[in-house]
Amino acid sequence: MDHALTVSGLTKIYQDFVLDHVSFCVPCGAIVGLIGENGAGKSTTVHAALGLIQRNAGHVAILERAELDDGIKEQIGVVFDGSNYPEILSPRKLNRVMKHIYRSWEEQAYFRLLAQFSLPLDKPVKQFSKGMKMKLAIAVALSHHAKLLILDEATSGLDPVIRDDILDLLLDFVQDETHAVLLSSHITSDLEKVADYIVLLHEGKVVFSEAKDELMERYGILKCGASQFAALDPADRVAYRKMDYEIQVLVSDRERMQKKYPQAMTVPASIDEIMLLYIKGEKE
Amino acid sequence: MKGILLKDLYIAKSNILVTAVSLIVLGLGLSFLLEASALLALAPAAATTAVFISITSDASSKWNKSVMTMPVSRSRIIGEKFAFYLILAVCGTAAALVPCGVLALSGMAITLPSLCLYGTIGMSAALLAGGISLPCAYLFDPEKSQIVFMMSFLASTGMIAALVLLVNLFLPVKDHILLTFCIVLAAAVIWFFLSYQITVRIYGKQDIV
Repeated sequence: MDHALTVSGLTKIYQDFVLDHVSFCVPCGAIVGLIGENGAGKSTTVHAALGLIQRNAGHVAILERAELDDGIKEQIGVVFDGSNYPEILSPRKLNRVMKHIYRSWEEQAYFRLLAQFSLPLDKPVKQFSKGMKMKLAIAVALSHHAKLLILDEATSGLDPVIRDDILDLLLDFVQDETHAVLLSSHITSDLEKVADYIVLLHEGKVVFSEAKDELMERYGILKCGASQFAALDPADRVAYRKMDYEIQVLVSDRERMQKKYPQAMTVPASIDEIMLLYIKGEKE
Repeated sequence: MKGILLKDLYIAKSNILVTAVSLIVLGLGLSFLLEASALLALAPAAATTAVFISITSDASSKWNKSVMTMPVSRSRIIGEKFAFYLILAVCGTAAALVPCGVLALSGMAITLPSLCLYGTIGMSAALLAGGISLPCAYLFDPEKSQIVFMMSFLASTGMIAALVLLVNLFLPVKDHILLTFCIVLAAAVIWFFLSYQITVRIYGKQDIV
């Protein structure tokens, strides 16, 4: 199996928003970061891939199966932002519920993860902090031999320490080559730490879907003045933003640009900067 | 289905206990005013309120969304809610039988025909009301579905009256009162089953976000 998740031509039409032929894949053994501003279509993509919403067009294959049946659902773990389980339940009661839902539920693994996360067994979920709720959801997702983890904005609103704990867990999870993670987030620094591939969504469309290392190695920001900017070949400018004292130009081949325009300063670009320039920058 | 049924029992546990105790106390209290078996007409419907507590909780905790990613089909999710409703209606009847039994043992005149009559009326009312309110709980938002839930009991009494009048066209109701209400109960069972099928269809096409 090469891909844990394949999304091709996924389309969902709402009155005020269109998810427009979104295509990308999540290879096994990899973490794929789905980024984009709020309302870009990240959650719609996740919901449509999971069959929560009806799609207007496109195909989704999870673990190389087009039909999302109970056998496939058994092998996926999903964590949504905020609350995932009834607030009245405690982790112990949740265990009793889950062991009747998942055939492959592993009680010992669940309690081990709860201990690792220092989560109380008998406290109702409503008394948990947001970070504790997220950890509980991740413990559930990791306790039934899931091969694909899908986290939809699961790290938003969490403090950096808890986020780091969760990211470490995801890195551990993909040590097994048959496992994969799709992590939808607008916190690009998290994805810079763990993602192998980045998919940028903007206004319901995939702007790019590339390996993170390649993206960070190739892309750069060329900083120049107005006269230098005018001298640039328009084909070299992916996007640009006019700042107070300079113009920042996103370029897709940093080294070549450095050689081509030695007077201008070309610096590496972070994912955040690439996203910002793609979304907010002007294009030719 | 067992897992989600257990989850609903955890959510509605306190409500179920309060309802059961209230029905027993009410039954004993009512016995001084009217026939205690009349409580059977009210008990099944009163006991089903816990289903709507669980539906509201599912919506507020986004369990509806989470459970869709678990190995549980949409039809099983709906099937569980209908089964939960039915179980609670039966438990309500059982709770109402407790004071009837106590009073019968203490010498009060409680006849089997009257128990059967009020029991069939109560179950019919609960099934007819559930057949209206359960699909609406998945069609409308929680606030609207609570209003529908309350209105459905009024509607169910109207439906029972209409069914009795219909039966009266073919069978003199006054002479065959228990048989009439057995026919009404059969119609209510069919209504409840059809409502389940409709809800499965509605929910199968619904976007869950």
